[in-house]
Amino acid sequence: MNFTSPIVEEYVAHGRSADCPVINTHAHFGPYKAIYFPMDAPEQVLHTMDACGVRWLIAAAHGALVDTDRGNKEFAEVIARYPDRLKGYWAINPGYPERVVREVAAFEQFEGFVGFKFLSDYYQYPITGPNYAPALEYANEHGLPILLHTWGGSPYDGPDVVEETARRYPNARLLMGHAGYGEWERASQVARDYPNVFLELTAAYRVRGALEIMVRVAGSEKITFGDDHPWFDPRYGIGGVLFAHISDEDRRNILYRNAQRVFGLPV
Amino acid sequence: MEFFDCNCWYGVPMSPPLDPAPTPAEVLAEMDRVGVQRALVRNCAVFEESPEVGNPLTLQAREASDRLVPAWAILPPQTGELGDVATFLAAMKAAGVAALWAYPNAHRYLLNTTTFGALFEELQDRGIPLFLPREEGSGGLMCYAAANEVLRDFPRLTLVVAGHGSWGEDRYFRPLMERFPNFAVDTSCYELDGGIAEICRKYGPHRLLFGTAFPIMRMGGAYLGLLHAEISDDHRAWVAGGNLKRLLEQARL
Repeated sequence: MNFTSPIVEEYVAHGRSADCPVINTHAHFGPYKAIYFPMDAPEQVLHTMDACGVRWLIAAAHGALVDTDRGNKEFAEVIARYPDRLKGYWAINPGYPERVVREVAAFEQFEGFVGFKFLSDYYQYPITGPNYAPALEYANEHGLPILLHTWGGSPYDGPDVVEETARRYPNARLLMGHAGYGEWERASQVARDYPNVFLELTAAYRVRGALEIMVRVAGSEKITFGDDHPWFDPRYGIGGVLFAHISDEDRRNILYRNAQRVFGLPV
Repeated sequence: MEFFDCNCWYGVPMSPPLDPAPTPAEVLAEMDRVGVQRALVRNCAVFEESPEVGNPLTLQAREASDRLVPAWAILPPQTGELGDVATFLAAMKAAGVAALWAYPNAHRYLLNTTTFGALFEELQDRGIPLFLPREEGSGGLMCYAAANEVLRDFPRLTLVVAGHGSWGEDRYFRPLMERFPNFAVDTSCYELDGGIAEICRKYGPHRLLFGTAFPIMRMGGAYLGLLHAEISDDHRAWVAGGNLKRLLEQARL
């Protein structure tokens, strides 16, 4: 095969690119009830990252999405072992509002966490609800990223809910995890219209045509790569980006440049 | 090494995909763009309208290119839309069709021995593979339960569940791999990190068939995922196309 893109050619030949690294902005860590992971031990995660040219991985521990108090702290110990490869999202569970204020305060005490993680659909609690407000206010005050699980049509974290959040908290940097899956145009419009909103590609990369809509409407400067690792093999997601009908500049923006900018990470 | 996509369709469904593929030309263009040499295809009329309509339409794919290999869908022989078992098998032979798909939900039937015993007996003896799309089950459960029921009665039948869900389904399908020698899944949506390698290691390379779920999904993700999966080149060649090629060649029509 002769590919017109040097990046595609390099990935096809070697499975990674020295010239175009990857920053994974949506990952997880540890076991989870619904899925078997053959490659979820920290050393295995690093192995996959190395094999696929993933420079940084930013994750929320599965345990932290259930019991934030235990899970965030346990994950801090993992991050501390790999400070030049792993960063963390500090999970916030709105189901325990009495904990949220305390845990937002605890965020600063642990190294390696670069933002918050909201999983609103799973908690069936809207991003705009009062239980999330302490975290949003903190993120707004400090210009902190928040990875939001977002899904098309959801009353908890659909694009309309994200737009309202972006309006209320213009300094918080909101990553729409899964890019508002299914509501591609609408999610892209929100990312286009609000400087503090970005589209994150987990699962969306595989849907034929979705990424092209995002690039056309929001621009590739507003899109970051992620793959829910270890749920998904980064090769699959990277392949989705590589073979989309976009330019190499777009691929670079999506695979690492935007994440560098949002999270202040070197590559 | 040949990439031979086992899970690919084209045509005009009721609700168009985000990036439609109304004709075989769109399939071929994507195959060329990614590096897929052949594809087992069906016109979406086989599941959106009826196999009565879709099966003959699918033969047109082969007229577009010999890189496109047609597959048909089944219906219960009792209602006779596709003739009795002997008539259907004769039609397959005449058309050179060596692979079948089942859509029990879309076509409203039970995928079991009561309905398909006579046909499955023939498929098992002739080595004709049957594909069962995962989206035909709810959360995977119905699909794998149906596969289990069929394979208990026809343990040598080649049955391929295609289109893995986003959430892990290894707990559903690995027991089937352990028990039934000809049960397989396709790789179109099997994204689990390390999954392909572990299946090859534990069950051998013949339990996975390269698929893409085109045009709903891109071909590129499944392609790169397999191209650089941490398996031997021999195993990769089987999964990429060797398994499907062998199944189609060994089917006795």
